[in-house]
Amino acid sequence: MAAVSQSFKTELLGAIPSLRAFAVSLTQNADKADDLVQETLVKAWDKHESFQLGTNLKAWLFTILRNEFYSQMRKRGREVQDSDGIMTARLAVHPAQHGQLDLKDFRGALEQLPEDQREAIILIGASGFSYEEAAEICGCAVGTIKSRVSRARARLQDILKISGEDEYGPDAISAQVTGSNAA
Amino acid sequence: MKEMSKNSITGAPSRHRNGGGNPLGPNSEIARKLKQYYDELVSDQVPDRFAQLLSQLEKAEPAEKKD
Repeated sequence: MAAVSQSFKTELLGAIPSLRAFAVSLTQNADKADDLVQETLVKAWDKHESFQLGTNLKAWLFTILRNEFYSQMRKRGREVQDSDGIMTARLAVHPAQHGQLDLKDFRGALEQLPEDQREAIILIGASGFSYEEAAEICGCAVGTIKSRVSRARARLQDILKISGEDEYGPDAISAQVTGSNAA
Repeated sequence: MKEMSKNSITGAPSRHRNGGGNPLGPNSEIARKLKQYYDELVSDQVPDRFAQLLSQLEKAEPAEKKD
């Protein structure tokens, strides 16, 4: 059985920043994310023989990380609360002003997305994967990824009050901003 | 020195086919924020524990394989 090659190791090292970014996007928690990356590296190491040279290592690693994330979530019995209603109401966000959107607000909005939508929009919009690759990573159809991305986008626009026409739309939300994200 | 340069290896996935149109289309504000959010995460300093982990794995290279 082949030893893990030096280049494989080098590539793993190189992939760590992306893996961490993806892990944080999934977990929304830096510590959990790093644990997840660690698990991923160990798994990847053990399974290195099943990685086919010449294929996309990054996509392979993302797949492992994602599987690990969901299996951990299942084990923990979903401590994540995903009743969006509650979160949405609590995390009031300032409407975008002059197209200037605060990164903190954006992060808060992203956090409110259901995991499947969040991962889809991250894979496509940030990690640079194609729809086909993202579908493979998530083990679903390309069409599913597309619809998740578009739902994610719509949801973000909604939360952040971005929409072509009324960017300043006075609304219930601004009335509710009670300092949760002041400071 | 362990120097993990950010994108040296990970660079671009093989088939980058988002070239034609931004998949997030006209919602450039969201597309931009998404990038910004993610790039910030990617450029975060990688803790040593990962390089150490890989070294450990390397040392422990399995002579035996279960299964």
